[in-house]
Amino acid sequence: MSEQAGQTAGRERTSAIYAEDLSKCYRIYKKPIHKLWDVLFQSRSYQEFWAVRNVYLDIPHGSTVGIIGENGAGKSSLLKLLTGITIPSSGKVEVKGRVASLLELGAGFHPEFTGRENIRLNCAILGMTPEETAARFQKIVEFSELGEFIDRPVKTYSSGMYVRLGFSVAASVDPDILIIDEALSVGDEHFRGKCTNRLNEFREQGKTIVFVSHDMGAVKSMCKWVVLMDQGRILEQGTAEQVADAYLKRAKARGNERMSMVQRGKSEYPRWGSGEVEVMHFEMLDEHRQPTHVIQTGRPYSIRMVWKAHRECANPVFGVGLYRTDGTYLNGSNHQWREQPIELLRVVPGDEGEVEIFVDRMPLQHGQYYLTLFLYDHSKASPTAIDHREHVFTFEVLDVERAQHGLIAVPSRWTLTRRGPSGDASLESRA
Amino acid sequence: MLRLFHSLRRHAPLVRNFVDKDLRGRYVGSTVGFFWSLVNPLLSLATYTFVFSYVLESRWSPQQPLAQVVLMMYLGIVTWGCHAEILSRCTGTLVENGNLIKKVVFPSEVLPSYIAVSALFNMLIGLGFVLLGVLIFGYIAPLADPTPAGWTPAPGELPFQPLRLGASALCLPLLFALHLGFSVGMGFLLSTLNLIVRDVGHFASAFLTIWMFGTPIFYPEAMVRERGFGWVVDANPMAWVVDSYRAILLFGAWPEPLVLAKLTLVAGFAMWAGTRFFFKNQHRFADFL
Repeated sequence: MSEQAGQTAGRERTSAIYAEDLSKCYRIYKKPIHKLWDVLFQSRSYQEFWAVRNVYLDIPHGSTVGIIGENGAGKSSLLKLLTGITIPSSGKVEVKGRVASLLELGAGFHPEFTGRENIRLNCAILGMTPEETAARFQKIVEFSELGEFIDRPVKTYSSGMYVRLGFSVAASVDPDILIIDEALSVGDEHFRGKCTNRLNEFREQGKTIVFVSHDMGAVKSMCKWVVLMDQGRILEQGTAEQVADAYLKRAKARGNERMSMVQRGKSEYPRWGSGEVEVMHFEMLDEHRQPTHVIQTGRPYSIRMVWKAHRECANPVFGVGLYRTDGTYLNGSNHQWREQPIELLRVVPGDEGEVEIFVDRMPLQHGQYYLTLFLYDHSKASPTAIDHREHVFTFEVLDVERAQHGLIAVPSRWTLTRRGPSGDASLESRA
Repeated sequence: MLRLFHSLRRHAPLVRNFVDKDLRGRYVGSTVGFFWSLVNPLLSLATYTFVFSYVLESRWSPQQPLAQVVLMMYLGIVTWGCHAEILSRCTGTLVENGNLIKKVVFPSEVLPSYIAVSALFNMLIGLGFVLLGVLIFGYIAPLADPTPAGWTPAPGELPFQPLRLGASALCLPLLFALHLGFSVGMGFLLSTLNLIVRDVGHFASAFLTIWMFGTPIFYPEAMVRERGFGWVVDANPMAWVVDSYRAILLFGAWPEPLVLAKLTLVAGFAMWAGTRFFFKNQHRFADFL
């Protein structure tokens, strides 16, 4: 927090954004009428909610800074203070240069008007003169790639087209400082690529970019300097690598909290079976053998079950199915269908034990997943359910490195060779 | 108030855009949009004429020709309509455009202002029809004086006046300014209040109806005075406004200086108080939403 304050000496020349002891308090009124009493008579019938607390920021010109935090950490409130949409309750904020904020794309669009008319209106809202608008008009139309839709009312647009038009207008402002609030996470791949290109152009032109997200991966790819916020305060700031650790710790704690809450609420999923053997306890363990709901991509984990037999059973087999939250079946296995199967022949009442599956590397990328328990009796021609429990466990996979894209992380290495006038080289990179 | 003027000078293109959007939304949006903007007042005029001049026999002077009664009512409807439009639309405008206030750095004083400009434009169209009526019934086919010879008006009754235009039309810009100043001042106040407490919107629409019938639009002022409710008219700035418009646009008479002076005071105060309240709270608009 204070490491930045030390640089204040030269900020007259270098800071694009400077905030000192910046705080924002929202007043929560029990009844609407209390608002009126407050405005008219300064009566204090409200509760205070400090969305931003004692924030110091010093963002030099030309830098790209990411602000990251969980939902409700105060990121958006901070952005509103920086853009001047709201004013601070205490402290001060200085912003030098023309600011364009992409807090919400197409905020000023009127649904009945065509794309063209909305461009004009939105340019005016963003503070452009008619001449400036005219000069940029064609570029905006082209960038949006809306084709003939540009002459149709905005209400007929898909949400993707809406955002495209919004970004096209906002990106044309030619600001000194660009403030973006996760606005880029919409639209198709192609347009997202264009947006990223545009942002890179901004960066190359030496403009200041402040980027807000709750997605560490996105921030890491964009920004060198990252500010981590939590409960309105700056928890840590530094290079992306420095902050990633702190972020990961928090995200794990939060994920665990959230997932175990999900767990408690979700008992309505189907469960069936004859019930000779029951799984009493089901848990996921991380590499330190700590129970968890959050696993990092590429790290080892295990799933442990405690079982108990209530009646006699010929051949119980334990299995686990792995699903993505949309229901896609990703993987299923049990201890019998292996080269060296484990057979548990005949259990009688009073028998109990544990069964555990170990995985060396979590192959899944960032996202939420769930497990289903298959406890089946394999003594008959086709297995019959003893204890089948859908959705028995929910967990989250965190991926901070973002070394790969897609659904799974594939252990891999790259090689590259070069021969010719610039010299021979043979390079290799491990994943 | 000064702050408003400065801001509007700076944001003139923005205001123009909003007015453009607004008027085109009204007149271009539907197939016969312009037609409706004409037919609606005419329909209400026909209704009110029927109820007030046929059923309730409201006349400004005995045997007043119907065309003159209709013109007086129509002028009242048009000018009151401008006031009512500004007030009711201003009341909701900040909440409706919450997106702009919450998500963009936006000069919110533009919103009540563009509504006023747009309402003025609509009123001017209506006044155009009034002028047409005055031309027809005052000059092209003048209405004959229906009063029998030797008749003297009873106290409070007006003698027949022919429809005329005169030098007093020079007062019109001043009257526009005072009229709009009063309406917009109240509009700024109401828009802010409604942002703080949403009930203001409901209250305003109810109050506007009462206010309309408390303004001598469909009946002569004299009728209210006879029944001892003269104070309603005396304390009602909109009664002064409507009365002055009638004097200027229908009878070519000069508005009463005392009334204009009172109106200047009231409109000035409304503007001062309304914009002051608006700007004092403007920095918290985003928090209120």
